[in-house]
Amino acid sequence: MINYQYDGTFPGFLSAVFEVWDRDRFPARIVPPEVAPGLFEETLEVKTADDHADRVWKGIAKAGGKQLCQRFMHVFLSRAPEAEDLMLFILKQLFDSKKNIAGDLSVEAVLKFTQLERKVLREVHRLYMFLRFEQTADGIWFAPVSPKYDVLPMTLNHFKSRFSDQAWLIYDTVRKYGYYYDIKVVEEITIDNPAFEKETGSLPTEAQSEDEQQWQEMWRSYFKHIAIRERANPRLQRQFMPKRFWKHLTEKR
Amino acid sequence: MHSAPFTQPLAPRLLFTAMDKLEKLKILASAAKYDVSCATSGSQRENTGGLGSAVSAGICHSFADDGRCISLLKVLFTNHCIYDCAYCANRRNNDIPRAAFTPEELVDITINFYRRNYIEGLFLSSGVMRNPDYTMARLTKVIKDLRLVHRFNGYIHLKAIPGADDALIREAGLYADRMSVNIEIPSEENLKYLAPEKDYGSVLHPMHLINETQQEYLPVRRYSKPAPKFVPAGQSTQLIIGATPDSDNQVLRLASNLYNENRLKRVYYSGYIHTNTSDSRLPALVAPPLKRENRLYQADWLMRFYEFKVDEIVDDAHPDLDLELDPKLAYALRHPELFPVDIQQADLHTLLRVPGIGPKSARLILSARRYGHVSSYLLKKMGVVMKRARFFITCRALAGRKAPDYQPDHLRMMFLDKSARKLTPDAVQLKLF
Repeated sequence: MINYQYDGTFPGFLSAVFEVWDRDRFPARIVPPEVAPGLFEETLEVKTADDHADRVWKGIAKAGGKQLCQRFMHVFLSRAPEAEDLMLFILKQLFDSKKNIAGDLSVEAVLKFTQLERKVLREVHRLYMFLRFEQTADGIWFAPVSPKYDVLPMTLNHFKSRFSDQAWLIYDTVRKYGYYYDIKVVEEITIDNPAFEKETGSLPTEAQSEDEQQWQEMWRSYFKHIAIRERANPRLQRQFMPKRFWKHLTEKR
Repeated sequence: MHSAPFTQPLAPRLLFTAMDKLEKLKILASAAKYDVSCATSGSQRENTGGLGSAVSAGICHSFADDGRCISLLKVLFTNHCIYDCAYCANRRNNDIPRAAFTPEELVDITINFYRRNYIEGLFLSSGVMRNPDYTMARLTKVIKDLRLVHRFNGYIHLKAIPGADDALIREAGLYADRMSVNIEIPSEENLKYLAPEKDYGSVLHPMHLINETQQEYLPVRRYSKPAPKFVPAGQSTQLIIGATPDSDNQVLRLASNLYNENRLKRVYYSGYIHTNTSDSRLPALVAPPLKRENRLYQADWLMRFYEFKVDEIVDDAHPDLDLELDPKLAYALRHPELFPVDIQQADLHTLLRVPGIGPKSARLILSARRYGHVSSYLLKKMGVVMKRARFFITCRALAGRKAPDYQPDHLRMMFLDKSARKLTPDAVQLKLF
């Protein structure tokens, strides 16, 4: 068994896939950097090469369609320990047997692959749901997020089209990077000395626009009054809106 | 857009109106909370400049303390009302605080909530002030301003006011994504008893009108994409459950008709909450009939996603749903002759009838079958609830007694026992000793 160790990025993973077929040495495993190799296993460190990654990406698109490429990216983002094995398994069928088994749910690996993808896509949707903007004193709309998977880039098109006429900044407080949209383009940024609270991302009052508090108060009050007291059901509430999101929610902070 | 926080002190008058808005919001949100609908699906509105977009799958943004989703700013324009319907908290004779928004205030709140990603859009309903025409015109002004002046592309759900002029409703439909008229009481004689000023004709008329107008607009849309949309997300309605002695048979039959004839997207069922305690025409329920409401929704799902006909769920012999069994399981127990179903052979319609198999897993089974044998292990992995399904299917490696081998009563007890155990953990302990 040979371990192909990549640098933890998606292009790195694709480069490792390239190496596996280039060296044509099976059985192989692709492992992320944090995995320590077993005692009697050979480990090869894979350098990330954009042209290699590109060729694999195009290869997948050619054999299985563009949508399949997307699916690999989604499953990769799950960061599940078994994700690389599942992807390699499906790629082997795709490249060697020229068979796209990604739709065959009777294969257990494909079923797991599909379930991982679903988890990631659900997290994307939850960002659509639970992200909250606050307006800063200089008029920028700021939203801190901390998704379970690194899916912030996948949400940009949604927020860009929905809030196309307001400058916004969405920041992942766990992975410490974010995106800023200036009404024209979206660009990646990092903030070294953030003015907001590091974990929850809440802004101090003096950094907020003058009527921000008033609107937050309105929303909290609406949230309270729209509930029917006779039907109170905190369990159901937590089930739909898990507690890990509460620190960013205006109505639950 | 905003001046720096220190350069411009807040004018006292501004503070006063802000307070006022908050007070109105409290009153008019509380007044709107009994309307169940919150769906934001079924409309795709692209951002064409301006603010917002509607996503066809719909997005919920929060969940209130009662566990219901919040996706729209659900408020009444006003809770003043000229009618005196017994079941309504906002009836004329109730002594409650009243308020009314101005269109500007409502537009302002909607846009500010939307920009913070609190909401998907606006759900605007209203008590009837002066007369239906006047009310409808006021509501339309709000959403017209949102769409045309503020270029708002978010989701808008608007109530059609029964009795309003056809032209007003046809105009409103051009700016709304969804419209609804609430029937509230599932039979006409009971409606007349509780709300003498209303009748089915006045409620059903706007529904027909919206449905017909939609059909007029559809063919044009097929040829020209920029052609105007009319209520693209369809219409819905709501029925109050438990305020009147109407049976589930009546309720579901009415719902089924609405789905088939008026092409409604949703019928909502709302367990009656005893708000107007002074009215002797209404039953004094201690708690809303949540269990019955839940069973009705399950039955509704069977009609919409499981290809069930209303006669298969309730009939004159079984006018009410079994509160202790979900309606699909109850159906399966009434029809042992249909089971067991062969997983390898059965068509979609038949698979959908198996308790424990949903529309998703039924389709997964169909697609997996093309590649080979579907084992019981795989069924489980697909999300089939084997606890239930195993009595109703045959597939390799799944031995054991099937539903037809049991006496129907025995099987019913078996499933009941399980749900009862789930409800009271004490029961389990008792059994151990």
